[in-house]
Amino acid sequence: MLILSRKLNESIVIDGRITVRIMRVDGDIVKLGIAAPSEVPVHRQEVYDEIQKSNREALTTASRAVPRLATAAVRGPANPIICRQESQLQPDTERRT
Amino acid sequence: MKADTADGEVKVHLPAGLLGFENYKDYVLLGIAGEEPFFWLQVAEQRDLAFLAISPFQLQPDYAPQVSREDLRSVGLEELAEAFVFNIVTIRGPGQATVNLKGPIVLNRQGRVGKQVIPANAVEFSVQHPLPIAEA
Repeated sequence: MLILSRKLNESIVIDGRITVRIMRVDGDIVKLGIAAPSEVPVHRQEVYDEIQKSNREALTTASRAVPRLATAAVRGPANPIICRQESQLQPDTERRT
Repeated sequence: MKADTADGEVKVHLPAGLLGFENYKDYVLLGIAGEEPFFWLQVAEQRDLAFLAISPFQLQPDYAPQVSREDLRSVGLEELAEAFVFNIVTIRGPGQATVNLKGPIVLNRQGRVGKQVIPANAVEFSVQHPLPIAEA
């Protein structure tokens, strides 16, 4: 891992197109300003960790009893996957009525 | 890609896998009568490994993850409205289940290629959104 020291208002540039700037240092909180092209995803590490953990918890290794939803909660149509023709896989927006 | 599986099954390819399961790239979407609105996302090479899933719009018609253009293009789409969006459910015990609204899976219906994405507005969504389970 590359480790750099930066002062307030100093920046680093990644790949010539992503700039990370130290905006504020307040005790143990560092505020970063990140300027990146819109196609570069920037997320807090915790978001990745959270989704990863959730996926791991969700994995089942045996056929489990599927819960039954309170019927009032389900507004949409029946299971869209139980279908034989590709044409039946319609966009969600069309089914959201 | 032509579906060559039995009725109610759709083969899908997630080139990046799921977060935490990057090695599993091929899955089967399986709907079982009586389990609606849930369906299964099974690991194709090991079908006893599976994730329960649900279409979020059936629960939250106003669910609006902001999926980046880059993510959409990676599965061959321009608009989220073209996608089949679904989310993974965790069964936590009797009468308890949650759905991960923070990491939806966006699937191209034609190519059957998908990706688990982190929406730009992920902070608005819970990774453990409680599901309204019917009383037994």
